[in-house]
Amino acid sequence: MSRFEKFLAGWSLRSSTPDYEPGDVIEVMVTGAEGDRAIARIGDSTLRIEGAPGDAADTRIRVAVETWDETAHRGTGTYRETVGESAF
Amino acid sequence: MTGPPDDETRDRIDDELPDGEPPEDAPDGATGDPVPVADGGFADESAEPHEPRIAFYGGKWASTVPIVFFIFWAIVQSGVLGIGDTNGLVIGALVGTILGMFLVRGDWKAYADTIFEGMTQRVAATAIVAWLWAGMFAETLQVGGFVGGLIFAADALNVGATTFPAAAFVLCGLLATGIGTGYGATVAFVTLFFPAGVLLGANPVLLFAAILSGAVFGDNLAPVSDTTIVSAVTQDADIGGVVASRFKYAILAAVPAFAAYLIMGSVLSGASLEGAAALRESATAPGLVHLISMGVVIATAVAGRHIVEAVSWGLIVAVAFNLAFGLSSVADILVFTTTSPTPAAALPFVRVGETAGVGGSLYSGAIGFFPLIVLTLLIVAMAQIMIRGGGFEAILEFLLDSVATTVRRAELTMVLGTAAINGMITINTAAEIAIAPYIARLGEKFNINGYRRANILDANTSALGYIFPWAGGVLVGYQVMVGPDGLGEQYGPEMVVNPIEVVPYVFHGWFLVIVFLLAAITGFGREYIPDRISEEVSRA
Repeated sequence: MSRFEKFLAGWSLRSSTPDYEPGDVIEVMVTGAEGDRAIARIGDSTLRIEGAPGDAADTRIRVAVETWDETAHRGTGTYRETVGESAF
Repeated sequence: MTGPPDDETRDRIDDELPDGEPPEDAPDGATGDPVPVADGGFADESAEPHEPRIAFYGGKWASTVPIVFFIFWAIVQSGVLGIGDTNGLVIGALVGTILGMFLVRGDWKAYADTIFEGMTQRVAATAIVAWLWAGMFAETLQVGGFVGGLIFAADALNVGATTFPAAAFVLCGLLATGIGTGYGATVAFVTLFFPAGVLLGANPVLLFAAILSGAVFGDNLAPVSDTTIVSAVTQDADIGGVVASRFKYAILAAVPAFAAYLIMGSVLSGASLEGAAALRESATAPGLVHLISMGVVIATAVAGRHIVEAVSWGLIVAVAFNLAFGLSSVADILVFTTTSPTPAAALPFVRVGETAGVGGSLYSGAIGFFPLIVLTLLIVAMAQIMIRGGGFEAILEFLLDSVATTVRRAELTMVLGTAAINGMITINTAAEIAIAPYIARLGEKFNINGYRRANILDANTSALGYIFPWAGGVLVGYQVMVGPDGLGEQYGPEMVVNPIEVVPYVFHGWFLVIVFLLAAITGFGREYIPDRISEEVSRA
């Protein structure tokens, strides 16, 4: 991203329920768990993640989005790799 | 910085509770297993950065007694009785600190140790250094005729009383953005631009508020500002990206603030000072050479030098200009006055007078802040007591548990939580450091991008640090007015503003908070972690 683009980033009204496309590979913070699946809450949308490590909570991981329901703002994805941790 | 590891002090205090019981407000994580929650709930509190080390009768909330008592004292003294004496606030802080001690369960030593722990924080020292250096610099420019030069320039450029506050807002904003310290910019502008504007007929309250607004702008946007650096580093974001991403919020608040100062400048009348007309007529241009002195500070700071080095270079240039152009004598800058004749009186910085003492711009510029320095140390100590006693955590838990259930509510909580904590902790960098872990954790629970988190954190930190009468930025400007050889002594009581009167007029501060409240509600500027990744976190 160029410096000019950095100044222009965010000049929009962003939805509280962001949507993604199957095939997207995104970086997210794991925010919780549902059974043995990791959960990433992105705004008020939810991504369930298969194959994440058991201690993935509060880590930053890369996920391949497999399915996405734009009505319910929920989807599923597959864990690719851990790329970072919480800021604290 | 806010969450040191457990040490033997904590163990000792907990062990000394009656019947060996844990504190009644022990963190959830200490009493049971974390509960997995779908969709990223907040049940796992075991990683909370703060855990109480001092137990109070009445629980965590009792640890807020010293600082709440101080704020109450400040409101009564400043707002109800109309007394703006900083030394009076020092007594209020001392009494509040003593009162809090009586509420401590067990050994009071931990409470006393926490006072020292708070006072020795680097953030307090950083503010103190900025005030001392800026005070010497601004006072040296003042004795060098800079105020007269500004009046001359304002007259020449037809900047009248009505437009002066708006101009001061812009110029103070530029200076603060350049040198990275809103406190320093406030000292310089209240010492120099404030008397010039009031003498020209500008409303003193509005002008002081405009200067504070400029300081808010600079503290918020400057890449070298300590609040900017703290906000970026604590949210895992690069400083360049943070500054670029916050420009939109800053400008959306600054434009209406500028308009408001233009409008209110024509609505509010100025003070009537005896001799103002004569001072205006005697104003001359040579003092304007100190624009170069200020330029040296800005250029050196922008070049990446430490603010101490930048202001020191500006001070050296100012002294050189004063002496080279005959703008002031050596004694105006530094003078030792003795009561008995001495051969040393031949020196340009030694005089014989009725009262022995030291004087000059270096002396009066620095000494004026001594009461505020003492107050600052006490305030950061009270804040540390609130953190160690769990009161800080209790405030945030209340906000988290009661409101942060959706991303919109989470962002509103981040805005209001940051504003509330900064409204209580006078030194805004200290408040920012304290709340930063909570902003990070709360934002990450909704995958809110680090840039967005840093912007919410810094904007509300900067704004609230310059609005209320007990805020560091307001106090430091007020101290310039009432300190030894201050504006009140030099020009008269009309040149002194009661800090509580400026509250409604710090437009940029208020508008910045409003912009972020609207941004949280509408989603303006919201970015999620998947949207873009922060570049490598670095200092600049």
